[in-house]
Amino acid sequence: MSRPQSIHVQWPDGASTLALRAVHHDGATLADQLAEAGRPLNTRCGRHGRCAGCTVELVAGRFLGRDGTEHAAPAEIKACQGRLAPGADTTIAVPARSLATHRPQVVTTFKVGVPAATEPLVPVVPGESDHGLAIDIGTTTVVVSLVDLRSGNIVREEASFNRQIELGDDVVTRIQLAGVPDKLDVLRDAIVGRTLAPLIAGVCAGAAIAPERLAGATVAGNTTMLHLLTGTDPTPMGVAPFCAAFLEHRQLTAANIGLSTPPPAMPVHLLPGISAYVGADLVAGCVCTGLNHCAEPSLLVDIGTNGEILLMHRGRLLATATAAGPAFEGGRLARGTRAVAGAVAHVRFDGEFPPALDLIPGANGIVGLCGSAYVDFLAQGRRISLLEPTGRISPSAWQTLPAVHRHHRDITRGVRLNAQNDATLVTEADVAHLLQAKAAIAAGIVTLLRRAGLAPADIRTLYLAGGFGLHLDVAHAIESGLLPGFRPEQIDVVGNTALGGAWLALIDRTVLPEMIAASTAAEVVELNLEPGFEDTFIDHLALP
Amino acid sequence: MTTLEQLSQAVAAGKSKDAKALTQRALDEGVKPGRLVDEALVPAMAAVGERFKNNEIFVPEMLVAARAMKEAMNLLEPRLLAAGITPKYTALIGTVQGDLHDIGKNLVAVMWRGANFRVVDLGTNVPPAKFVAAINEHRPQLIGLSALLTTTMPAMVETVRTIRASGCPAVKIMVGGAPISQQFAEEIGADGYASDAGSAVDRARELVGAI
Repeated sequence: MSRPQSIHVQWPDGASTLALRAVHHDGATLADQLAEAGRPLNTRCGRHGRCAGCTVELVAGRFLGRDGTEHAAPAEIKACQGRLAPGADTTIAVPARSLATHRPQVVTTFKVGVPAATEPLVPVVPGESDHGLAIDIGTTTVVVSLVDLRSGNIVREEASFNRQIELGDDVVTRIQLAGVPDKLDVLRDAIVGRTLAPLIAGVCAGAAIAPERLAGATVAGNTTMLHLLTGTDPTPMGVAPFCAAFLEHRQLTAANIGLSTPPPAMPVHLLPGISAYVGADLVAGCVCTGLNHCAEPSLLVDIGTNGEILLMHRGRLLATATAAGPAFEGGRLARGTRAVAGAVAHVRFDGEFPPALDLIPGANGIVGLCGSAYVDFLAQGRRISLLEPTGRISPSAWQTLPAVHRHHRDITRGVRLNAQNDATLVTEADVAHLLQAKAAIAAGIVTLLRRAGLAPADIRTLYLAGGFGLHLDVAHAIESGLLPGFRPEQIDVVGNTALGGAWLALIDRTVLPEMIAASTAAEVVELNLEPGFEDTFIDHLALP
Repeated sequence: MTTLEQLSQAVAAGKSKDAKALTQRALDEGVKPGRLVDEALVPAMAAVGERFKNNEIFVPEMLVAARAMKEAMNLLEPRLLAAGITPKYTALIGTVQGDLHDIGKNLVAVMWRGANFRVVDLGTNVPPAKFVAAINEHRPQLIGLSALLTTTMPAMVETVRTIRASGCPAVKIMVGGAPISQQFAEEIGADGYASDAGSAVDRARELVGAI
């Protein structure tokens, strides 16, 4: 137990004095107290101390770690891992990237590779019931598009973080949480009540369309997200053989789901998935890109915490998922962030140090580096021999690196891309994490191709889907070995094809049967059981 | 530099092809396989583990070194067996039921081999009963359980309980994997925990009384 405490906080937008309420149980942490005070931090990993999301700087005072350690200022502390010691003049600084209030940069654009008709999936009565919702539920972000079913046009879009993030960063964390009594309901409410409901109300209000005019919805998402949406226990998907409770297309109603804004009887179609880890989002992408019709070998790759890969070859569809970890979303990296306003999206070395940095607009100053910037760094860092194939900073490059760009703490070395800004630091430990993530994706692609007797050169098109893909410099993705052995002209960046597929299925009733056919025909490859996967993974750890 | 010194360096640097070729060369030069292990491979892996603990190398470099070590051991193991040379300690290792991840587990297995343990690898998705049967068969001093998914931690609990209740010969149980902590290890009645493959060697040696 502790007493109320007044502390000084340096926020990104100014300083304030904050009264922290007394904690009512021994396990309460600084992160809990800040959340209670209305300033929740980015506790992405579910407050396990595994990510660096809630890192704050202790400027003055002491911090008592839950593990019994004590930190004196100045120190970087994880707010979810302890509490401030009582005492006057305690000051913390909270960097922008640690606040949970960032608006995401969500990919709502997508390329459609197939022709479509406007013959909606649901009955339309012009003037009365003539709009629909195409919904993509991602682990991180959720997009709701309002579609005029008379024209097929998207008239309004709203996006936000999936509020389940506060409960856990990745699908496995959420699957585990769902096994705790009552938490399945909490997770369901986070997506239905706290994420979808405001988005749906928002698109209707924004387009001045009465919710009564909503005639139907289609939903794409990974298998875990669709389980949690329907309050279905996902826990069997957490352990081998990873059994999903359902994968097939389901037609429910708004009332079934618990959505109160649309008419209760409004049909809600959950798109079909392939397996526990290759979900309806990939099936939607498969049909949206036209992958399922490709006569020549083609791939669909969606890079997130899991990399999902579909290969179409000679009428066969092979599907797999590879565990990349959160590095490309900024997780576990010293200055990593998602693609939010103020993030460095691109790094360009035009010869000399320092490189030019391109920011995602909308913030004052630099928040950190997002995945696409790290890929730029890997590719060009190797090209200019700053990095060795192992990912280490080369000793000779270190010697010639201007001192202001060097970072050296204990034996950890790093490079500050902008000498004045610590938010641009890349350490050797970051590079090691990135190499593992890129090796997981690369080995997934190569293993799947090998299974079909193919090489990268045999692929007609690699459709690169998802938010990460949209920001990515394709040439650098190839050069760094993330997309190994491909040529830039083979890569087609297609955006949010999960949303695109949901939209297509909504406006063209012939699309859903195609998705059902593709999902049932696909063969799942479990990479961990593929001979040679580990060897391939280790081969791809190095920078080319 | 002698062939053994070169081999040691090749393994530590993760040069698989060189490691294989140098192992063959040392054997051709008449170096006994046991000496090759003791004087080249064990010191190489000890150095790798030490550098890892000190944050001088990271997981990718360690994985590459472990693979080079494995290449060398593949050549040596049949010869060691033929010569009747068996390490003093035996360890079993496996990933618990429901979990198919094995890269971390394989890394620990190689590090233990490099510390001169005989390692019997039961693979992934190993049911508790299979661990018990393998303990009865191989009579190890040590058993290592791995789990990468938070969702398979309960299977680790169950495995420890089953081993303890089985009446099989006494064995020290070590646990590890991304979601595992010292506290969890203590709660489930394991004898030891290591946060990484480097400290897994130290912990293993302590548990079997080798140091």
